[in-house]
Amino acid sequence: MGVLPEPRILRSGGYVVHVDVCEELRMDCVEEVHKLYYLVKRELADAVEEVVPGVTSVAVIYEPRRTDGRAVESEIRELWRRRGDVELADLHRPRRFAIPVCYGGEFGPDMPFVAGWSGMSEEEVVRVHSSRVYRVITLGFTPGFVYMGEVDPAIAAPRLETPRTRIPRGSVGIAGRMTGIYGLESPGGWRLIGRTPLTMFDYRRDPPIPISPGDEVVFKPISPGEFERLVGVFVGDYGS
Amino acid sequence: MTTAPRVRVAHVGGYATVQDLGRRGYRAVGVPVSGALDRLSAAYANALVGNRSGDAVVEVFGAISLTLTGDAVVAVTGGHPRVFLEDVEVKPWTPLYCEGGRALRVLPTGIGRVHYIAISGGVVCERVLGSSSTYARAGMGCLGRPLRPGDVLELGTADPASVWNGVADSRPPEELVDAHLRLGEGLVLRATPGVHAHLLEDLETLLRGHYVVAPESDRMGYRLEGEPLRSAGRLGRLPSIPTDRGYVQTPPDGKPIVLMSDAQTTGGYAVALHAIPPDVDLLAQLNPGQRVRFELMSLEEAESEVRSYLERVERPVVRREELEYWG
Repeated sequence: MGVLPEPRILRSGGYVVHVDVCEELRMDCVEEVHKLYYLVKRELADAVEEVVPGVTSVAVIYEPRRTDGRAVESEIRELWRRRGDVELADLHRPRRFAIPVCYGGEFGPDMPFVAGWSGMSEEEVVRVHSSRVYRVITLGFTPGFVYMGEVDPAIAAPRLETPRTRIPRGSVGIAGRMTGIYGLESPGGWRLIGRTPLTMFDYRRDPPIPISPGDEVVFKPISPGEFERLVGVFVGDYGS
Repeated sequence: MTTAPRVRVAHVGGYATVQDLGRRGYRAVGVPVSGALDRLSAAYANALVGNRSGDAVVEVFGAISLTLTGDAVVAVTGGHPRVFLEDVEVKPWTPLYCEGGRALRVLPTGIGRVHYIAISGGVVCERVLGSSSTYARAGMGCLGRPLRPGDVLELGTADPASVWNGVADSRPPEELVDAHLRLGEGLVLRATPGVHAHLLEDLETLLRGHYVVAPESDRMGYRLEGEPLRSAGRLGRLPSIPTDRGYVQTPPDGKPIVLMSDAQTTGGYAVALHAIPPDVDLLAQLNPGQRVRFELMSLEEAESEVRSYLERVERPVVRREELEYWG
């Protein structure tokens, strides 16, 4: 199941229009989600308060005193029909971010599990994880959490059965075909394979994280020594 | 020229934070809206002391005692707590002239759960991404953490005498205060179908059943105990969707959780219903064990309720009560 022929639109609560673009995570779907996200942001800015991308969907929060859900829905359908006229790159020019990661050991407590699950050595897992260019799917869950895809199926280990209550900020994890970075300390259930020393989210900056949906991320393996040297460097200030 | 008084936190018997109406525009990077759990009560607390609706107030679950270093007009709203100025019991939902050095104490009564204290001039503290709301999980906004005894909060400038002249006879609409007084009788949470309603064939269960608020309810979400939605267990994990306050999630155990102001911005649980904002305000006031049931409403009705709610939150209308004079 890929992209739905027509998006499934569900209005709720008197101020939300939810748009399902596809049934499950696939990178061709992610591209359509991003296109719709940036199109709605650009074209419906007057009546819309906030546009929030999900993994396979977009939520549009509108101001019911300026418009109504029916009108927002038909405008979204119209944007969807015309989406072929515009290139994603014209809506959002993707930036590429390099993220240094110290893999395994205390930084990646689930590395032995992922290696066992995939039948590889830890070094091979590092090589497989850091040899792809990932697409940013969305940000969310907690401030600055970055969802990326698509992970090589060979290392696409499932989530933990029981989430951890406390995960250090900067932790890099795997959940099936997605990889993610915890922007701040939080609970979570992804399999942790490493950690970046970069500050991913700084609320005293605006935007607090420079990464947007559609951007690209490459992971660069570093040593514990390099990790120490890079602690606190803001992700936007680290060279790619 | 008046210098603004300060507020010293003398005692907190519960969980208190500084909140305003929330942080908008950053959900796309994972920052929840936060803000007052019961926005209408926060807005009325401000209106009763002559503040703007979006000024920062103190939100407290439980008891709190504050001391002002100078004169100010204060008001306590949300539920029906006992309020004292020093040893004199005064009323909630009404402007109070508080002389400098006096203690303002708020004690819960079981009627309502989360109380708002507005002070003329408004609490002034660190604004993060356009809001002073405290989001303690990320350590951001105002002090970045719950209030503790010894904390000192700054206030905006306001002349208490002229504020008092303007607001002394202001009262909130009677039906709002009545709604808070009647919370114990059980709350009807009006909702539209949620994003995943079409996948939950036993949605009726949720609409027929009675639920009670579970003790594990906080600024992220209110958990409800009652007949579980069995179909939620069969759905498993869904692709994460953007979520919002009022979304009624049903995790695999089928027990509903109503998302609140600090809820995460995306979630992978089925969303059965979407409760409308004015009713979520009232849900915030329910104590563990108090009863809730859901009632379906149309999208058009929901939209019109949200319009009038937004209007009331932004521009709360107060009525003027004839003051009694003696002597």
